[in-house]
Amino acid sequence: MIEALPVEPSGSPTPIVLRHALVDRVFHWVAAVCVLTLLATSFLPILGVKFDWVNIHWITGVVLTIAVLFHLVRSLLWQSWRTMWIGAADVREALAILRATIRRTGTPSKPGKYSFAQKLVHLFFTVVVLTAVVTGALMLAHVETPWWRPNAYLLSDASWGVVYVLHDLAALSLITMVLAHIYFALRPEKLLFTRAMLRGWITRREYEEHLDPTRWQVDR
Amino acid sequence: MELFRVSSDAYGREVLQGLSWDLLWVFAGAGALLIVVHALYRAFLAPKHK
Repeated sequence: MIEALPVEPSGSPTPIVLRHALVDRVFHWVAAVCVLTLLATSFLPILGVKFDWVNIHWITGVVLTIAVLFHLVRSLLWQSWRTMWIGAADVREALAILRATIRRTGTPSKPGKYSFAQKLVHLFFTVVVLTAVVTGALMLAHVETPWWRPNAYLLSDASWGVVYVLHDLAALSLITMVLAHIYFALRPEKLLFTRAMLRGWITRREYEEHLDPTRWQVDR
Repeated sequence: MELFRVSSDAYGREVLQGLSWDLLWVFAGAGALLIVVHALYRAFLAPKHK
């Protein structure tokens, strides 16, 4: 878990803690590119930027679906789903942060590997992206692809209406969520987590300063 | 502001086509508002971190 890759100005190696494995970082950035491409190909034509968006949109949707399925299987079979589970300790942490925010005192406690806010964001993205992926997969029935002919009669008109509303709601929600996600990723106090999503690690010092070693044990 | 997009089928019945695209600005605005409120809170109200 702990490696020594970066070097301090003195020349001595800075101990680091692996936060995200390469495979998880690749998933994150593939999903990010897919979501941004899907948002651009859905909303730019509505805003008046005309181009042939349908093929880019459905092919990117298929790539995102494969990536999400891979992540789902990996997280359920090879990783612990409890890592992202919002438990009693997280709720206590959230309430403590809320109290500290209202009283304008410092952050009361340190989180484990992921804070309550990070777990909540992950939960929102899980629900919204899965909704977009499932409804998008159904909507592929409208598209001519090398593998099948369009079939608009797969569902009734009323059912298609529900599918469209859920797909649109997921897409619109992603606008808000992506804006907020990028903003928080670029905030100075969060840059260590953004670097971890790029390079994989945080320093041992950052681990001890920002996180609770009893809630995220990397040595054992 | 409309919430839904609707069209008519061959029999003149209303068919749901999805959410209104007017909502695009509501969701984009919500994101922008969240960013501005948080940035102002961190700049002027939040306790300063070391």
